[in-house]
This record gives sequence, C-alpha cells and structure tokens, in this order.
Amino acid sequence: MENSFNITKIANGISVCSYNTNRFKTGRISFNIAVPLGDNASANAILPYILNRSCGKYPDFSKLNARLAELYGAALTPSVSKIGEAQVIRLSMTMIDDRFAFENESLYQQCAELLCDLIFEPNAENGSFNESEVNREKRLLLERIESEKNDKRVYALRRCEEIMCENEQYGINCYGDTHGVEALTPQSIFDTWQDLLRKGVVQVNIVGNADVDVICELVKNRFAKIPRDEISNINTKIIKSAKEVKRINEQLPINQGKLVIGYRAGITEQDENFGAVRVMADIFGGAPYSKLFVNVREKMSLCYYCSARLYRKKGIIMVQSGIEKENEEKAITEINNQLKLLQNGEFIQDELKASIAGLKDTLMRVSDTPEDIDAWGYSQMTANAFKSPQDIVNEIENVEPHQVIEAARKVTLDTIYMLSGEEGEENE
Amino acid sequence: MNNITEIKNNLLGDSYFKIKHNSGLTIIVFSKSDYTSSYAVFGTNYGSIDTAFKTSDKNEIITIPEGTAHFLEHKLFESEDLDAFERYAKTGASANAYTSFDKTCYLFSCSGNFKESLEILLDFVQHPYFTQQTVQKEQGIIGQEIKMYEDVPDWKVLFNLLKILYHKHPVRIDIAGTVESIAQISDKTLYDCYNTFYNLNNMVLAVAGNTTVDEVLEVADRLLKPSKDIKVERTNYDEPCEIVNDYIEQKLSVFMPQFNLGFKENYETPKRSLKEQICTRILLEIIAGDTSPLYKELFSQGLINTSFGSEYFTGYGFATVIFAGESKDPREVTQRIKEEIKRLKTNGINEADFQRVRKMLYGRTIMGYNDVDSIANELISCHFEGFELFDEVDVFKSVTLLDVEQRLTRQMDESLSALSVILPA
Repeated sequence: MENSFNITKIANGISVCSYNTNRFKTGRISFNIAVPLGDNASANAILPYILNRSCGKYPDFSKLNARLAELYGAALTPSVSKIGEAQVIRLSMTMIDDRFAFENESLYQQCAELLCDLIFEPNAENGSFNESEVNREKRLLLERIESEKNDKRVYALRRCEEIMCENEQYGINCYGDTHGVEALTPQSIFDTWQDLLRKGVVQVNIVGNADVDVICELVKNRFAKIPRDEISNINTKIIKSAKEVKRINEQLPINQGKLVIGYRAGITEQDENFGAVRVMADIFGGAPYSKLFVNVREKMSLCYYCSARLYRKKGIIMVQSGIEKENEEKAITEINNQLKLLQNGEFIQDELKASIAGLKDTLMRVSDTPEDIDAWGYSQMTANAFKSPQDIVNEIENVEPHQVIEAARKVTLDTIYMLSGEEGEENE
Repeated sequence: MNNITEIKNNLLGDSYFKIKHNSGLTIIVFSKSDYTSSYAVFGTNYGSIDTAFKTSDKNEIITIPEGTAHFLEHKLFESEDLDAFERYAKTGASANAYTSFDKTCYLFSCSGNFKESLEILLDFVQHPYFTQQTVQKEQGIIGQEIKMYEDVPDWKVLFNLLKILYHKHPVRIDIAGTVESIAQISDKTLYDCYNTFYNLNNMVLAVAGNTTVDEVLEVADRLLKPSKDIKVERTNYDEPCEIVNDYIEQKLSVFMPQFNLGFKENYETPKRSLKEQICTRILLEIIAGDTSPLYKELFSQGLINTSFGSEYFTGYGFATVIFAGESKDPREVTQRIKEEIKRLKTNGINEADFQRVRKMLYGRTIMGYNDVDSIANELISCHFEGFELFDEVDVFKSVTLLDVEQRLTRQMDESLSALSVILPA
C-alpha cells in the first residue's frame, strides 16, 4: 500500500517496515538491531561504528567513502541509542531516488546491498575484527563518551538519568563506559557481533520508491545461515512512584547552571490512559504555550529554556532548564508548583486544546520526510504492537480534563540534579 | 495586479512561483500537493551584522547596539493582548524564529489550518508592540541565552576565530550581542530598527508544501499593508585586508582541544557568487573531505575524529574558509592542512577526484529539495543572495576542473590564516 506503514515479518524476530511513496527526491533504508541494555553495552555500542567504516569488499574507509560518493553521495550514518531499556544499534542510509541517477541505475538496490555487505561481511578474519580498526574505533568511542561533557545540557540530563536510575538498566549510558570500552578486544567485539545477528530483534526500514520485495529477499538470504531460535526478550522495568527525593549538586567550570528534575510518570505505555499522559506532559512543558515556558521563562524571566519531556518507554518525565545558581531554589519551587497546579486541575480548556492540537499537528507531519518516517518505524520496533502516527492521534484527540488530572496525580518527584559553576568558597 | 513569474527545473520536475505583491513584498510559493504539511517563513534582510546602516530617505548613518536584530526577533512575538505563541496554540502550528548574520526569519510549520496560521504570521510580524517594561523583562531571558552560549565550545571557538580575523566587520560579534550591549537597547531602538528593516520591500515570504498561490495570495491581499519603498543600504565596514592575530586560545570545560582554522579572504565586492561558493565547496571536499588522502591520514593517526569538517563561511562583506574539529594536537593538524593546500596549489587537482566530489555534492544538493522546511529557508536565502533555488543544480552540472583550480589560486592564503583553540579547563 502506498503512503502508509507496512510491516512484514520475514523471519523469527526480523521484520521489514516499509513506507512506499514517490513523493520524495530521496529514499532511506535503515538496519536496526535491538538488544537488552546491559553489561555488554560497550561492545554493542562500538559495533555500528566499526561496521560503518569498512567491510570485506571495501576494506578501508577511503574505499568505502569513494563507493558512497559514487552512489551520488549516499549518506551512511551509524548510531546507538536506547528505547526504554533496549539498546538499539543502527546503520541508516539516505540516497537520491533512482530517477535522478545519470544512467538509470537502481540506487536503492545498490545501497541495500552495500548495507548488507557492511553488516554481514565485515572486515574480519578468523573470528576477529581487524586490530588497528578496532583500536581506532575504541579511541573514537572513548572520545565520544568523554565529549558528552562538551554539551552541558546533554551532560546534565545524562547525569540526572544515571543518578535517578542507578539501580535500573536505564542508568547505563547507551555508549557504554570508559572501562567497558577499554576492555574490548577484536575477538570480544566479533563475538558480540555474532550474538547480535543471532539474538537481536531486527527491523529493516525502507522509505521511498524501492522494490521492497527485492530488499526483503536480500535480507532473508543474508540471514539464511544464521540461527535465529533464541531471540532476546526486551523488557523495560518501570518504577511507578518515587520513594524519596534524591538531590545532587555537581560542579564544573561553567557559566550557566543546568537544572534537571526527574519525575516518575507512574504509568506504562500499555496503560489505557497513556494518551492523557502525553497530553499532560505537553501542557506541563512540551511547547511555548506550556506552563513551564509561560511561567518560568516568560513571567519570571529566569531562563532561556525550561521544558519537560516524556520518555514514554521508561515512564519518566525530565524537566530541563538553564539558570543562574542563585535562582536554583526559585526555579525548583516554581517547576514543582506548576505540576501541582496541573494535579489540582488548575489549567483551562484552552491549554488542553492547545496541547491536543499541537501534538496532533506534529504527529501528522511525520509523513513528510523520509528521515521522520524512518525514525517513527524505529520508535515502534520494540512495541508490542506497531502504532502509526494516526493511531496516536486517535489516543489523544478526545482526552478529557479529568484524565489529565488523573495522569498528573500519578507523577512523583524523584531526583533534582543541579550542575553549576565552580566557586572557591563553596568547596568543601 | 501582482506580477507573477514561474521558475521551473525539468530535471527535478519541480517549479515555484515568485510574486512581487502590490504591497511591496516578494512572495515565493513552492507547492507540494502530495505533502501533508506546509512551512512558511517570513524574513527580513536584516541580521546581526547590520549594526550601522543608511536609508534612502535620510543622509545620516545610524548606529545601533550589537544584538538588536536578535532582540527585536524575541520581542516581536509579543503584542498588547495575546502573544504570537498563544495565537498559534489555537491552530496547532509549531512556530519559531531565528536571527543570523544577515537575516531575521519568523516561521511556522503545520499539517492543518494553514491559512489561519499564515494570518497569524503576517499579522504579528506587521504589528510591533514594545514597551520599556517588556524590553527589560527580555534582557533577563536573552542574558541567559548569551550565558548558555558561553558554555558551548563550538560556538566560542568560532567567535574567537572571527575576532582575530576581523578588525571591524560586525561578523566578529556574537549574534545575540553581549549582556552589556543589550542593556543599551530601549523600546525606541526597537521601533527605529523595526520601521527601517521591516519594510515589506525589504522582506520575503516563502511558503513550501501543501498549499497554492491562490491560497497564499488570498491571505496576503487581506493582511499586507503597502509599505513605502525605502531602500536600506549596508555600510562599508572599512575592514582591513590583514588579520588581527594568528592565534587565540580559551579554556573551557571540554575533554579534548577543539579548533577552528580560518583563512580570511578579501574581495572588491561584498557578495560571493553561487559559482564561487560551489567551487569552494568542491575544493574543500578535495582537500579534506572524508574521501581525501589527508582525512585518511589524520584520522588513522588519531589526529582528528568524526567531528572534523570544513565550510565556506561567507555573507555580506565577509568570506572565510574554516576547518574545524577536535584534536589532541590542533597545531599539527593545522600544519598538515596547510601542507596539503600547498601541494594541491603546486601539483594541481586530479580529474577523478574532482568528478567523484562533484557527483557526491550534486547528490547532496538534490537531497536538499526534499523537505518543506529546507526548501522554504533556502528560497529566502537564495532570494536575498540574488539567485534562484534551482541554480545550484545547474552549476553542479556545468562546473569544470579548471573553474575549481582557478578558484584555488586565489583562496587559502597562508598569510591570512589564524587558529582558534579551546583547551580543557
């Protein structure tokens, strides 16, 4: 079917999510593998970066990049991320549509083949990846982990997640950690790669005008010799309410303080009232019409940004703001106060309508870029049942004020994290 | 009658309409009827570098505090009753705005209620409301925005570089200004700038997506008030050819040193042509792109990581080639880049390298015609720069190795290069 998501299961734990359309000038193919986030995080994290750099056919990255340039600058992107407590390893490619090729060659197929070459026939020999490549990628991954500190917003958010979820798998960084990366060897990464192909939950996303059947066959053939009888179970532990409030202050030599407040939403994605949770989090701090923006920024002039984001798979809400250290208490009080107002039903019909309209509009825009369509497919890969943007619209469209209040009352404060500048007199 | 022109490209199978509206505004409409969403951007040819200007109806040169364009952008969202965000909240559109070195743009994207959102956009941008009190409130918010950027190493490393490359040109100043400069802004400053730069003859409305010329004009005809055609002239910045200094460093909380290596360029005319820009982009890929021998060497030797890249940083009255990245040894990377440039200047460029890079950048250009947001923003940029959106594809098809080699002879002069480094605190 054109212009809609189609899910085809092609083998145990392997599905293809295709979206056929000729609206775009580009196409996109991504290969996603999900495994439980856990002890092996560092090895999983390094894999997409190793696989993305070379393969048996193009054994160094200059040769591979030259091949990509030949494919009209097809863009190959590796990434690691987490969806709840799943760690997702991902290689994606954007290519121009076949109709713009100089000689009518099929770029979709060539790109799909190249992706498969990278994933199934890496630059490895005798049960081990190439040592110098592994060393280079270890260095780069260590730099990536350390460089998270460069973006203080990201760093503060990560630290708050780590502290809040220190006894949950969710507290593990999706890039792994320094010790884990240092301990990796060409053999251990090779074993992890084999494990991923055997046990990972796999989803291939295809957006554009590609011949989906041809690509399905290609993927199926590549998996033909790989045993797929032991697929990982991916579950996310959800803590429904916070016990006691953790409060942590840390310092770095910075100019502006970063405040992050973590809340437990008290509900899982499977609950019936989940549409109301999305709306509630949005009224709280999802957009410029939301309570946090209107009050903490506009009325009190305390900050440039103050927003709330719902991490639906994990059932947590994180509030972030950049403030002066001296305004810390004022900001915390006001953010908690805005939540209390929601819990007491002190929001007006217009705020509810604004959130529903805003969320709906954003959801309906997903279908207008290949990247967003691909990202949507990715976001659904560990779900019990695939939902389209329209399905989510249906869940939120008729949310009533009492459902929002009910959702807000389940929210509990878990962790307050403040990163601030170093001041001599405050040192212990 | 409004004057309408259609601009087509057969290869892409696309076209758009450019309308000189009776009010003085240029309106550009790129219909994509098979898309769900639309994106509209209303921009003025006024950015952070316009700290001094002259209008066609007066003789004096007016000077304003640094950061005024950006400040005005923030304040325009407010009105006497509902601010623009509250109004958009009723249509569901996502609205935003940005200020760059040479333009200020207000935008929204939506998948429904397009006309209602367009009405809001045209209305609030044409109705300024500034008071001393609202100006003061914003000084706190923007003060925090400026402070936020002080902790962003990629931002600091760039502006530190610009400060040692440029003596006078305001590109050397942070777009948002400084806490001190914005303290000098008053409601009067904002009205003066508004009345000068937000003249419809100095502005463009670009729309891309699920809409039509008729739909856009229906709203425009109702809401646009004709403006007197006052021409705004950018001043001559009297920028000397030389650089200020060839090295600057600052300590910030980073893991590894970050660097920007810049090569300043001097020209008789303030703007670089599209062909000059494209030839430079091809050159940069050949010198240090991820298919180049230099990249491979630096990467394998652990001197750069995936954050390494280059750009042609150019706008009205400024042009600089910049290489940027993270490295444990920025000076060594600088040395190697300079050697590679020298080698190419002496030995010339290999035809196969040129063709590979041209094909890649051609593909990337086509990719740019996909999303309604990038199309609408590009339409505005191209219009202010004086060319059409599809010209880029044509230049990529016609550009030759000789063009690129000629470009190389006058770029990347070592005596005009400078290095900016952020070191771990």
